[in-house]
Amino acid sequence: MVNDRNSFIFRSLSTLLVILVINFFLPRMMPGDPFSTTSADEVGGEIIVMTEEQHLYYVNYYGLDRPLYEQFLSYMKNLMTGNLGRSIYYKMPVSDVIMLHLPWTILIVVSATVVSTISGVVLGTLSAKNRKKGSDRIMMTGMIAFAEIPSFLLGLILLLIFSVYFRLFPLAGAVTPFAHYNGPTDQVLDILYHAFLPVLTLSLSQLTGVYLLTRNTLITVTTKDYIRTARAKGLGEKNVWIRHALRNALLPVVTRTGFMIGIMMGGVVLVENVFSYPGIGMTLRSAVVGRDYPLIQGILLVIAVSILICNLLVDKIYGKLDPRVVI
Amino acid sequence: MSLLKINNLKCHYLTDIDTVKAVDGISFEIEEREILGIVGESGSGKTTVALGIMGLLPENTAVSGEILYRNEVISSLPEPEMNRFRWKDIAIVFQNGLEVMNPVLKVGVQVTEPMIKHLDISPEKARSKCADLFRTVGLDPKWMDSYPHQLSGGMRQKVLLAMALSCDPKLLVLDEVTSALDAFTRKEIRDLLVDLQKNGYTMLVISHDITFVSSVASRIAVMYSGKVIETGPVRDILVSPLHPYTRGLVHSTPDIFVYKDLWGIPGDVPSGDEFEGCPFSPRCTQRIDICNKTSPVLVPAGEGREIACHRGGIAGLLAAKNLNFSYRLPDGEYLQAVNNVNLEVMEGEVLAIVGQTGSGKSTLAHILADVIRPECGDVLFMGGNVFGGNYGSRFNGIQIVFQDPFSSTSNRFTVLDAIKEPLYINKIGSNGDRLQMVKSALELVRLPSSDNFLRKYCGELSGGQRQRVALARAMVMEPKLLIADEITSALDVSTSANILRLLKGLQNRRGFAMIYISHDLSLTLKIADRIAVMNSGKIIEIGNSHDVMLSPSDEYTKRLVGSRIGLCCHTH
Repeated sequence: MVNDRNSFIFRSLSTLLVILVINFFLPRMMPGDPFSTTSADEVGGEIIVMTEEQHLYYVNYYGLDRPLYEQFLSYMKNLMTGNLGRSIYYKMPVSDVIMLHLPWTILIVVSATVVSTISGVVLGTLSAKNRKKGSDRIMMTGMIAFAEIPSFLLGLILLLIFSVYFRLFPLAGAVTPFAHYNGPTDQVLDILYHAFLPVLTLSLSQLTGVYLLTRNTLITVTTKDYIRTARAKGLGEKNVWIRHALRNALLPVVTRTGFMIGIMMGGVVLVENVFSYPGIGMTLRSAVVGRDYPLIQGILLVIAVSILICNLLVDKIYGKLDPRVVI
Repeated sequence: MSLLKINNLKCHYLTDIDTVKAVDGISFEIEEREILGIVGESGSGKTTVALGIMGLLPENTAVSGEILYRNEVISSLPEPEMNRFRWKDIAIVFQNGLEVMNPVLKVGVQVTEPMIKHLDISPEKARSKCADLFRTVGLDPKWMDSYPHQLSGGMRQKVLLAMALSCDPKLLVLDEVTSALDAFTRKEIRDLLVDLQKNGYTMLVISHDITFVSSVASRIAVMYSGKVIETGPVRDILVSPLHPYTRGLVHSTPDIFVYKDLWGIPGDVPSGDEFEGCPFSPRCTQRIDICNKTSPVLVPAGEGREIACHRGGIAGLLAAKNLNFSYRLPDGEYLQAVNNVNLEVMEGEVLAIVGQTGSGKSTLAHILADVIRPECGDVLFMGGNVFGGNYGSRFNGIQIVFQDPFSSTSNRFTVLDAIKEPLYINKIGSNGDRLQMVKSALELVRLPSSDNFLRKYCGELSGGQRQRVALARAMVMEPKLLIADEITSALDVSTSANILRLLKGLQNRRGFAMIYISHDLSLTLKIADRIAVMNSGKIIEIGNSHDVMLSPSDEYTKRLVGSRIGLCCHTH
């Protein structure tokens, strides 16, 4: 047991180290540096053109002219003390920038996970119960066709239909700008209103996976002997399906949910940009455009760590759900 | 009133490719407090019957006929209606498999679950009842809180039994409950079942383990290919099976014939639904024309037995009545070598005749083979008289293989000539056909059929090879009855073991009957179904080989058995 735990910690730490190395070197392999950007990203922003002197000054100021390994070591040293560095673009600590935007991302990722898992399980169960009947066939074909649409394209279509054409939902942002709320309920509603389309897009992109997994696992599980035993006991269809079939079929779905959060952390970058949603995905984009190395590193690190944490959690939960697994 | 009655039940699995007739028109009844056993090989449809009774057949099953529980038809009830009967009236004990219980629920929960549902009791009460049940089946209640994968196979089987008993059902269906268990646990379960029956349970015990079934059941139904082919009281079925299949099953059971080598029933169940005849006919040694055309129905055979066989069960092949034969000695006295012998040989059976030298065994064999004529008495073979019947010179007749291969095959004959001889004498086939027949006979006895070997002279062969040539000469006539007269006594131990296994293998595969004459008791015990003991020209004891050898009733047999020389380390 102790050995297992140690090796688990060792594995996590070495994974983290690899991620840190990649995080550090990848942004620096892009052409240009934080000070060679000459265009402002936002419309109407000031266009700053630096002189050669100014450029060198800034490069020197941020220590970017030092050898790479020295920069890496100092990055690691700072990281040990919890210091992620300062954002060049935002001119504030990276951790502050991330704390400002991360909650929005967490909001839509978690909501999308909950929505897609629940609806996927429900639809998968319905499909499995009506296996080989018309409703199952239609649902299955539809879902598979649907899964082929990339999430950003889906987001664009939803945005065009619901926000541009029907004007049902906002085009951008997480809250109505300059709004005055009459109490917290209003505020929550406004946040949900803005989050609706991004969450919907993310959920839809994950729905098919959950649906297919639930349906197929359920179909496999219902051929198991213990389902026959449960039926023989005369427990009633509802009991058989929920207590015996679904309880077992959900085990792989739980595992999948963990991976799903990881996949969504990647997908959310695109979706946030489509909806101009102020999460870390949008921030990452502007950081990349501005070659804001410390910020890129910080955000990628947060994404990587959250994926690691999710996998860890899934393992723990699985151990609780399936007595055959010892963690 | 019978508790459960099954009327012409048919369960056909419809697949995309074909229809599998798992159960094809069976009927039986179970009286209250009775234990009925169903035996049969895997694939005979036993489990389908069990699932049919529980209403658990898969959706692609076409079910016809009816199942009545206390005169109420339960075979066509919709699911919710069927749930009224399940567990409260009829419960099933499945074979313990790793996945027969829900892997993520504690076993205690799975046992209490039906009680809470059907008996309307509180979870606490159900739990305490569950603990009682665990004690009943011989399990410590502490195991209630473990998961199925934490239990051994035997413990799981006990939990399944406790689960089935939880709602006090009237009828217990037990499907292969001991198949995967060790001997000790198997005995425990058996004792438990016997106790339960005393407490008023009615049971249907389904298993391929005929020993287990016969130790608990009072009546047995033998299933084959979805049909019941024989039913009757346990003792009768075991001692004198009527159907050739039942005999095969009994003979394949090591617990019944402890010392005999195991020989399964050769062949397989016919597949495909086109076949109209008796499903056992491809494997049957006594089939006649009608067997391939129509399927026999179950008819009463007296003494509470029923059988489905066109020939009315295992048919007699040879019957000898009042045989007498004397040799005239040089001093003018007569020696009664065969004294009023009556004998019957059934289809496909191995009858051993044992006795000391000079007891008249060989003389009897020679009379049966029509080598010598008796003073009086008759021998009937398949209804015809052996004397003058020329059964030795016909196909499917009687052939004899003698003790000494060196005198029974001529030194100056080539292998080909020796084996071809009966065909030549009886003018059977053209020369080409004969060569072919000789070659296949050689293959049967595991000798090379190369031209080189065929040209060898018998004098060049070893004793074992020559006895095989003699055997091949008999086999070339495809006998229905083979008389083997001390065929291994002239051979060394290893060669005789090889010959014997070969002979028994041939007999098992080709299905001929055999009279095996020997003075070697240990060998006979390995191959014989029945043993006749001869002394001074009389048959003094005849019966099931293990009964005769292990518990002889006649004084002479006792002495004969007792005279075996044991190895120094054995005490007999």
